[in-house]
Amino acid sequence: MSIAAINERLLRSIGVGVAILRFSDLKFYYVNPAFEDWFGDPVTSEVITGIIEDIRDEARSALRENGSFAGEVRIKPKRRTLVIALSLTLTEVDGEEMIVAECQNITRMRELEQMIDTYSTMVERNTRELEREKERVEKLLLNLMPRSVYEEFKTFGVVTPQLYKNVSVVMLDFVGFTAFAEKTDPTVTLSELNDIFTAFDRITEQFGCERIKTIGDAYLGVSGMPEAAPDHATVVANCAIRFLRYLERRNQSHQYKWEARIGLGTGAVVGSVVGIQKYVYDVFGPAVNMAARLQVAAKPMQIVAPESMKFDLIDAFQISDLGAHDIKGLGEMPLISVSGHMPTSSPTTRF
Amino acid sequence: MSGTLFEKYGGFKTVSRIVMTFYDMVLDDDAVGHVFENTDMAKLVDHQTKFVASLLGGPASFSDERLEQVHAHLGISHSDFDIVAGLLGDALAEHGMEPADIRAVAQTVETKRTLVVARDAA
Repeated sequence: MSIAAINERLLRSIGVGVAILRFSDLKFYYVNPAFEDWFGDPVTSEVITGIIEDIRDEARSALRENGSFAGEVRIKPKRRTLVIALSLTLTEVDGEEMIVAECQNITRMRELEQMIDTYSTMVERNTRELEREKERVEKLLLNLMPRSVYEEFKTFGVVTPQLYKNVSVVMLDFVGFTAFAEKTDPTVTLSELNDIFTAFDRITEQFGCERIKTIGDAYLGVSGMPEAAPDHATVVANCAIRFLRYLERRNQSHQYKWEARIGLGTGAVVGSVVGIQKYVYDVFGPAVNMAARLQVAAKPMQIVAPESMKFDLIDAFQISDLGAHDIKGLGEMPLISVSGHMPTSSPTTRF
Repeated sequence: MSGTLFEKYGGFKTVSRIVMTFYDMVLDDDAVGHVFENTDMAKLVDHQTKFVASLLGGPASFSDERLEQVHAHLGISHSDFDIVAGLLGDALAEHGMEPADIRAVAQTVETKRTLVVARDAA
């Protein structure tokens, strides 16, 4: 078989539509079967007439300028619309300018592109939803543990218990809460607690104290962990005073009046995530016990602290000695009560 | 709860092939092909990708309202619906889906019948 014959056969069998036409009058000299399948007989085909009509001027000038033209045409030989990529090249045969037209069916490619578009939109939307979900989970976890602990938890999957030597603790408990809860609609009780604890959270945040948890009506906050804070004692005292002030102000305008006892503690604390499935960040240690015990010893709307905190607090707060008390689990210990700053108008009363 | 059919059969990789086959079958069918004759290809592919993915429990949502809306003016008959549902089954089978799973998909498709078939259809 001669090369010419092979070429001829190749042109017949390939899936690319090929046509050759004269540049001057666009008369067709050759079309291969694939081309004819799509566009019909070039002599009679209205499809071809239409296409030529559409692209003639543009194609002519492109061919003149660059010797080639590329475009896309849509045809509908049967029910389905085909997208055909059209590529024209200018060439010379026997001194005459001829156009070689090469057509490829890119319908399937277009369909796949469309499908990928659809799918990527879907995936992107799902990714956004997952991202939002992740943020919600993170926010929830951040309510359960301090950020630095959360970061450790996220990175390593576990949290190593850490001992913090210099930490102060504030523990608050409402007076008569159980009695209130018994005689009041639980939703009211909850909404009261929610309202007050939300305010407390704002106060602790403002003073750089970390709320660890609430246990029923008790509120536990710490300062000096997980980040060390040299002024941990004044931080918790400031929070304690703001808690009581907030309650006083709130009581003036609210139907239900609340009183609280507050205990402060200072010393070492261990912080860690407890549990695997139902994990919660918790704190243990002498400072926590102390705050809990002293809170019990406090009178309503009083802040009680160990005498060991006296020198940390004396510059900024009003301190009264309460003398030695026998505290369960801690033995005999000297206590102080802490109240707000001296009014600036009468600084001398302190001396 | 095991994974969805979408996961079982290879996710989007398979869905894309099923959609292509289904698309060809529907367009080539003389009884129902005309319905899609003037449908924008892009829309049809979009619609079918989402629809097939959601049928298989994949990450696509295709609301019943939308399904109803896109078919509302097409005047589709029960026999049209049967043909297309059959073609979908064929397309799934062609891509190696097990008969039991095809039946499960067919049941889901059946629940959409009232949304797709025209209200006044015989």
